[in-house]
Amino acid sequence: MTYRTRLLAVMAVVIVAITGLGLFIAEHKVAAETEHDLEASFHAELRAHQTAREIRQATLAERTRTLTLRPRIVAALEDGALDLLYPSAKDELRDLMEASPAATNSILRARFYRFLAADGSVLKTGDPRDCGVISRSEETQLTFRALPAETQAGYISHDASQSVLEVLTVPILSSETGEPMSALVVGLATTDSSENSGDLRTGILLQDAFHISGFDRAMQARVAERVRQAAEKSGPSGTFSLNLSGARFRLFYNILNPRSKFPPAYEVCVYPLADLLARQQTLRWQASGICIALLIGGFAASHVASRKLSRPVEKLEQVSAQNLAHRQKAEAALEQTSQELQRAARFSADASHQLKTPVAVLRAGLDELLAREEFEPEVREELSALRHQTFRLNNIIEDLLLLSRLDAGRLKLSFSPVDLRPIVEAWMDDLSAVPETTVNVEPDFSGDNLIVGEKRYTAIIVENLLENARKYNRVHGVIRITTETAGDVVSLRIGNTGRAIPPEVQSCIFERFHRGTAGENVPGYGLGLNLARELAHLHGGELKLLCSREDWTEFEVTFKAASKFEGTS
Amino acid sequence: MIRTGLMVFVRFAAIFTASCLLAAKGADAVITGKVELPKTTKAPVMTKRYEIVSQGGALAPNPPVAIVYLEGRFPMATNPPLQQILQTNYTFVPSLIAVQVGTRIEFPNQDHAFHNVFSYSPAKRFDLGRYRPEERPIPSQLFDKPGLVTLRCDIHEHMRALILVLETPHFLVTDPDGQFKLEGVPEGSYVLKAWLNSKTTLQQPITLTQGQALTVNFPASQERKGKSSQ
Repeated sequence: MTYRTRLLAVMAVVIVAITGLGLFIAEHKVAAETEHDLEASFHAELRAHQTAREIRQATLAERTRTLTLRPRIVAALEDGALDLLYPSAKDELRDLMEASPAATNSILRARFYRFLAADGSVLKTGDPRDCGVISRSEETQLTFRALPAETQAGYISHDASQSVLEVLTVPILSSETGEPMSALVVGLATTDSSENSGDLRTGILLQDAFHISGFDRAMQARVAERVRQAAEKSGPSGTFSLNLSGARFRLFYNILNPRSKFPPAYEVCVYPLADLLARQQTLRWQASGICIALLIGGFAASHVASRKLSRPVEKLEQVSAQNLAHRQKAEAALEQTSQELQRAARFSADASHQLKTPVAVLRAGLDELLAREEFEPEVREELSALRHQTFRLNNIIEDLLLLSRLDAGRLKLSFSPVDLRPIVEAWMDDLSAVPETTVNVEPDFSGDNLIVGEKRYTAIIVENLLENARKYNRVHGVIRITTETAGDVVSLRIGNTGRAIPPEVQSCIFERFHRGTAGENVPGYGLGLNLARELAHLHGGELKLLCSREDWTEFEVTFKAASKFEGTS
Repeated sequence: MIRTGLMVFVRFAAIFTASCLLAAKGADAVITGKVELPKTTKAPVMTKRYEIVSQGGALAPNPPVAIVYLEGRFPMATNPPLQQILQTNYTFVPSLIAVQVGTRIEFPNQDHAFHNVFSYSPAKRFDLGRYRPEERPIPSQLFDKPGLVTLRCDIHEHMRALILVLETPHFLVTDPDGQFKLEGVPEGSYVLKAWLNSKTTLQQPITLTQGQALTVNFPASQERKGKSSQ
């Protein structure tokens, strides 16, 4: 899987996760808020409702109480004229019983009234048409065991008017004793329960009946049962949700007559949540739609972003792949080269060994021949010359071996301080031993002579150069040797008189087997300068031709000064 | 004020006439005594103005005063004088009155508002309707049955008056401290009663000889609800 695909996948997962979480939280919050708002608005509405009802009840109670102070009613009760009670009340309560619904205070219209005797029973009325018709069972509901000392509110079903009536029982106090001697019971029409605000339906739950519009009997029974259960469990007011034939409703109930001697009646408000749920659902769909749109947008964006981001990474991958290929190729080449080198080294080592053996045999043979006394002087001379040639062969082989080891990189010097002076002096000693020497050596060892090198190989460099200086010199020539130290570089200059090196071959003199214009008369085989230079390189220095002009050729070899070197020996 | 005086005068005259008539019959007895009236916190009024208050479930005059009367068979005065109960300052004045059966009482309205006089008492149920001060003839009512009549005003529920209608011509209202003196009483056996409030009437049987001056006291009793005491 490419980097880009991986990146895309990761981004997609992250976006989906965040979006999902966001959607979940948002939905939760919205649902909670909606519910909270609904509750709050209901509570507000119910409170307003309740306040209105309380005010109405207070007004009614006050009005009824005023009636109980009417002198005629009091006189009828106090002065032993109970038979005049209802006839007097007929006049006094006439406007309360007025049947015109157009009256401004029609909500204060009474459907019936009765008086209670001192024992709490209902006093028989003469003509029910005057004071409202009530059935026997309704009458029983109005009876008290004892006259109440305070106004009591209750609710009954009134068959005659097919509605729920609010009943106010107001005690009539005796002006002589101050105690209740009777009570006026008034049945007032409640606010029309079919009057609903919007979807909210209000009903009244009585002891044995439940009046609410918009529900059939079964549902009414169910609601009544639930409200009674809730009232038992959680108190006179509360709220809960319930399902009625598939639809969800929210119920609020509140007791209408707390602290009353009448049985409790509850106002029940039912609000269908179908609308709310539908709206919630719509909201959810909308949110999902927006989310999906956002997701798609997010995918597209992440697509673009991932491509942009992954480009440099992919380029890097490519380049590193290329580098890897190169490296592998290089390693392969290196491997091959090292193998070749090893092969070469092995070959040269083997070859030189192979070559040295016959040369040794030759020399031994020649030695043996020279040891014999029977040969003539010319033969002996010839043999000696031949023997000399075997030494020359041996030298060539040694030099070739050295060179091949140098080529293979197998030559490792072990560095230690080397003094140049003894090397030069040793050579000068050897030179003076040779009788036909006509050159003059002028050494000048003013500088620091200690260099970093290995004595064996340093001697080869110096001796090669000195040999060249001698070989390419003229008769009665001069060899000047000078050492000089500059910083941590020691330079050894070897100059000789003699024929100059022609300019066009000066660049070729360090090549192998180059013999210049010396011809065969000058001994050597063209490896000296090359070897000396390679060895000089191994010493960490350089060998170069300083100048070659008429009668003066000078070479310089530079070494590392030993005084600065810690020494590894 | 004039009317009050007039009324007092009329009453006095009536009693005087009655006692004169009785005195003409021979040497009549005199009953004097004292009714022990219930204690009251109210200071004695300067004028004979009472209000009807409710005490212990009974309507009673305040400051307390009693009506003493002699129960028995007497010839009644044929034409008792007209009495008056005024409605002034939203009260009945006098608030307590004792009359003989057959007395007519007028109820003039001396306030600048409507008043109404009615009673649901078994002794007399009547309703004179609502009327203003200028109503003429002045509404009145004849009381032809003995008993206690509680007067009320339809409009002003606090207004109360008590009329004790008696079947005897020998009655009077005691002094503020309970003293009474019944004169011109013929000899015979009777029951002397003292009405204290709507629920309490004390009684003592007495026998009078001609020209006797008897002193009967009604001391305070423990139970005042219609119990007699000696």
